[in-house]
Amino acid sequence: MVVCLSPAQAQTYDLLLKGARVVDPANGIDAVRDVALAGARIARVANGIAPSEARKTVDLSGLIVTPGLIDLHFHAYGYSGSLFPDDTALLTGATTVVDAGGAGYRTIDDFRRRIIAKSRTRVLALLNIAGGGMTGQASEDNVEDMLPEKTAQTIQKNRDVVVGIKVAHFSKPGWDALKRAVEAGRLAGVPVMVDDKIFTNTGRTSRQKLLDVMRPGDLHTHMYNDRQVEILSRFDGKVEQYSWEARRRGVLFDMGHGGGSFLWTVAIPAARQGFWPDTISTDLHSSSIMIPQSDMPNCISKMMLLGMKLEDAILRSTVNPAKAIRRFPELGTLGEGKEADLAVLAVREGVFAFKDAWGKKLLGTKKVECVMTIRNGRLVHDAEGRAFPEWTKAGRYEVLP
Amino acid sequence: MKPALLLLAAAVSQAQIYDLLIKNGLVMDPANRRNGKMDVAVSGNKVAKVAPNLPASRARVVVEAGEYYVTPGLIDIHTHFDEQGAWLNLNPDHNTLRFGVTTAVDAGSSGADNFESFRARVISRARTRLLAFLNICSAGMYGLEVENDPKQMNVDRAAALARKHRDVIVGIKTAHYRPADWIAVDHAVKAAAISETVCMIDFFPQPGREYPELLLKHMRPGDIHTHFYGRLIPQLDAANKVQPYMWEARKRGVLFDVGHGAGAFLFRIAAPMIEQGFLPDTISTDIHKNSVMLPMANMTQTMSKFLNLGLTLEQIVERATVNPARSIRRPDLGTLSEGAAADIALLVLERGRFAFLDSGHAKLTGQRRLRCAMTVRDGRIVWDEDGLAATEVSAAGPYSNFK
Repeated sequence: MVVCLSPAQAQTYDLLLKGARVVDPANGIDAVRDVALAGARIARVANGIAPSEARKTVDLSGLIVTPGLIDLHFHAYGYSGSLFPDDTALLTGATTVVDAGGAGYRTIDDFRRRIIAKSRTRVLALLNIAGGGMTGQASEDNVEDMLPEKTAQTIQKNRDVVVGIKVAHFSKPGWDALKRAVEAGRLAGVPVMVDDKIFTNTGRTSRQKLLDVMRPGDLHTHMYNDRQVEILSRFDGKVEQYSWEARRRGVLFDMGHGGGSFLWTVAIPAARQGFWPDTISTDLHSSSIMIPQSDMPNCISKMMLLGMKLEDAILRSTVNPAKAIRRFPELGTLGEGKEADLAVLAVREGVFAFKDAWGKKLLGTKKVECVMTIRNGRLVHDAEGRAFPEWTKAGRYEVLP
Repeated sequence: MKPALLLLAAAVSQAQIYDLLIKNGLVMDPANRRNGKMDVAVSGNKVAKVAPNLPASRARVVVEAGEYYVTPGLIDIHTHFDEQGAWLNLNPDHNTLRFGVTTAVDAGSSGADNFESFRARVISRARTRLLAFLNICSAGMYGLEVENDPKQMNVDRAAALARKHRDVIVGIKTAHYRPADWIAVDHAVKAAAISETVCMIDFFPQPGREYPELLLKHMRPGDIHTHFYGRLIPQLDAANKVQPYMWEARKRGVLFDVGHGAGAFLFRIAAPMIEQGFLPDTISTDIHKNSVMLPMANMTQTMSKFLNLGLTLEQIVERATVNPARSIRRPDLGTLSEGAAADIALLVLERGRFAFLDSGHAKLTGQRRLRCAMTVRDGRIVWDEDGLAATEVSAAGPYSNFK
């Protein structure tokens, strides 16, 4: 780093976050550290960085600083329950969201123009194998418009935002949709996220899907939904051998909470047997954001209630999703020189109700909340006003920086 | 089949079976001067009865609300919702229902050109009761070019549309008008007069277009000046004393609305005004993509700011229920009267150390905060943060997505 010696520019850092527990699994850090930002970058993570070196210092004692959370399953476009990203993601610590199949090759340009380019959140996309995207059963069943080559070409043109392929809600028998998605994934060299119905009339089985069709690195989302995939035996509640085998093969299991896909009755026995999500994600949309409250801090809290340690949940909300979309180590890390996307979390104590997608509750005593979010070096959320002065001491202020 | 069903429904209501019974809450219903521990019973989508000791045995779902304030669903008369319109607009529902707001009034996002599409795409699909102020500009709130163009302001067209959609359009809005003349205000007020609705005005003075003149000459009693704690409004004199024309306007019946937003609510202005007794008539958020971020201008957070500026909870609930309902001439809303729509909020008064930012990002540290724990909209529980109506998983029996 170039250190400027002129006294007028003695402050090296724009923002110094002091005194928090830094949980940064990418760099093996879980300790009290100061984090200094310069412009849009993380400049330094160390002990005892002096406030005099920064233009602005914020005391975060008692809080937790993590890399900005990465929500691998989000809905910002196409799907009827889509949400604008900023007020939903940034207020809950997610600085990167991956839209899960809202757009197909026909609509990605519109998605880019209308949402991606305008959002402060980093919005990435899994391109739907259905050309029209997630716009209803007619589009999602239209095998004629699931074109692996066209989809792969579109991905090559949009590599800056498209990180993979999504196949979802296919309601016809057979493997056409999934096989075409995997073929597109092979052509484009990207992973496929699968949300697949298991109905008796589809002729598809979880075993076959996980072991014969999906590739290592492909993701099964909605893992705790007993209809999308049967990770548990319906007879004895044990994690199926093929689930373990798929995991050994490298198939990834994603939480994808959503409005119907996180059931305590599946998650509790699976967690008890050690079958955890590789990636924690929300499937956030206009329904799941309401009673199930499937935002990132809530999903993390639910995992902690099942026995996962906070630092492990952060790993599965930062490093693991970044790796899954092959954006590691650009994303999901507090490495020096990386883009400054950070979340500041608090762990509240009390009695809290955590509701699954069916509205059934489990009571817990710890709840994770996002109290501050920094995106690209900019403070975008500050629930406790930690970065700003009391109004009585602010003079005749207009808008404080 | 249908007559039989109707008969059955009638029989059920006569037997006073409640679909939802909110027990032992601290009912605060300023429209009916209720303030005390009692029960609220809902049948179908209506408030059936509000009284102490209603029988739990007659209710399908019972919510024990001992520590919660039970209020009419909150009414936010200054919002911006549209899933694809002006970029600053937000999605409704999670920005309303999670904060106890069951009725939100979009403040002029659309005009005569696009209101009907707004109604079809957004209003009719929202679970929130969405009402609207129609923008006097036909193209709606689509940038200063549109909003500063008098050719956009077609009084007759706006009034006709407001009449046609009288179930949803509650008034006319003018905003962001820069030229130093009265064209925008006068056109909007005229359209409101013809359509027999109210006018909501976003205004900043210019030389030759002064604020007292707006309040005392151009606005009618019942018209609403929003953003009145804003930094461009001369509400206070140099010694921070409330200007006499503010009081005079209030006496005339001009209404003052908060419209928090990203630029219009400053503690340094609100605090001295409140100290001198100049309270808002209505508390509203002006929630949009910017105001919802650092200032967190959602409804409960905005109400909490007033709580820590010295208003009583009852004063605040009044300004978020019955007052806004009356201001938009919908006295059927904002009340827990028997027979009213079952729009209900359960609020918690949290104690601790909290801080709030205003539109200028200055901080107010306080000891109390309002949180919405449950929202009932049209008889349905749509938000239940504390799981008050949720079954514990151990008691739920088997459930599955397999059909």
